[in-house]
Amino acid sequence: MILPAADELLAPVTAIDGFRLGCLIDASTGMVLASKENPGGSPPMSAVAGAGAADIFHVLTMLSGRLATGERLQDVTVTFNDSFFMVRPIGLDEESQILLLIMADRQRTNLAMAHRTIRDFCASLAS
Amino acid sequence: MSLIPKRTRVRAGLVWPGREVDGYANLIGARLRKLAAAGSTGTLPVSGPTDGAIILHGGRVVHAESSRTPTQRTGDPAALGLAPGEAVSPVEAPSIGMVAGLLAMTEPIIDAATELLSSKSRYAKFRRSEAPVAIAPHPIPVTALLTEVERRHRVLSQLSAVVTADTPVIRSSALAWPRLQVSAPQWALVVAMSDGMTPRGVAMKLGHSVFATTIEFYRLIELGLLAAAGREPPPADGRGTALAFMRAVHNERDTDG
Repeated sequence: MILPAADELLAPVTAIDGFRLGCLIDASTGMVLASKENPGGSPPMSAVAGAGAADIFHVLTMLSGRLATGERLQDVTVTFNDSFFMVRPIGLDEESQILLLIMADRQRTNLAMAHRTIRDFCASLAS
Repeated sequence: MSLIPKRTRVRAGLVWPGREVDGYANLIGARLRKLAAAGSTGTLPVSGPTDGAIILHGGRVVHAESSRTPTQRTGDPAALGLAPGEAVSPVEAPSIGMVAGLLAMTEPIIDAATELLSSKSRYAKFRRSEAPVAIAPHPIPVTALLTEVERRHRVLSQLSAVVTADTPVIRSSALAWPRLQVSAPQWALVVAMSDGMTPRGVAMKLGHSVFATTIEFYRLIELGLLAAAGREPPPADGRGTALAFMRAVHNERDTDG
């Protein structure tokens, strides 16, 4: 990782039941800044997952750019048959384009609790 | 042993098996990997389309600068309230500001390395040193840097059909959409530019990353707010030009060097 020192920042989100992967991504460049994976999980996938999260953010930014409703993206949840893929911009101001990506096991994750943990984590970082 | 100097062999395309013809960037990468493996400290000068240098400390990259990217400005450790060499403890003070601060320090290094490791750059003799001129609080592993630089080159290759860092850009005279919404950073770019400026020119003016600015210009062109001078606008369906970070990720395992 580019910022291995920031990996420990992600420690709180590893408490999410079914946690598989957490990443901090610079949305403006698509670069994965830090990541934390569930030990013993699948092979490293942060580069691909981070790129996917940045692409999703880019497409939705283009969507809001053309809809011009004055709204800003708050979060994205993608449901696969076996996992959840959750993306949330960190920070309240537009200058910050750092994204949090969480992948979690669908069978073991309480989605509402996961959202709450992610929201609290982002709020604690932004404060 | 060949009597032809190494540089001449490479220039003539008489390269060793496994090395690409004209693949100077690969040679710089190989040199950096060797220096990293040896835990070297010092400066690797690079010349070519972009002049600059990559500085290592203990085999990790602590600084890079090129003549075609902004010099480290917000990346000053003092911006984080740190003395040179002092480390940030993310456990003690976790905040998005800290991550943004770390990013502000590393982005100029990666941006410069992306320019320096172009296919036409060459390295000169490594100048060993006991104490480098600059020590970033968090040195970048060489393997991670090279992986990121390769990814960025692939992203820039995708964008080149529409815009490069050196493409003159103008404001669109007629918008294709009745209303458009842009972010504050995007609007700052639109305000900072004048017709005919390049993404690199705007990045140098604002002290921003050339790579990130080029991507942002691509997005503004895709939105129809800007246009590349002398080029056809990208097709409305995005065929063959759409930016996809996924396509730029190489199929290899992550290594942190």
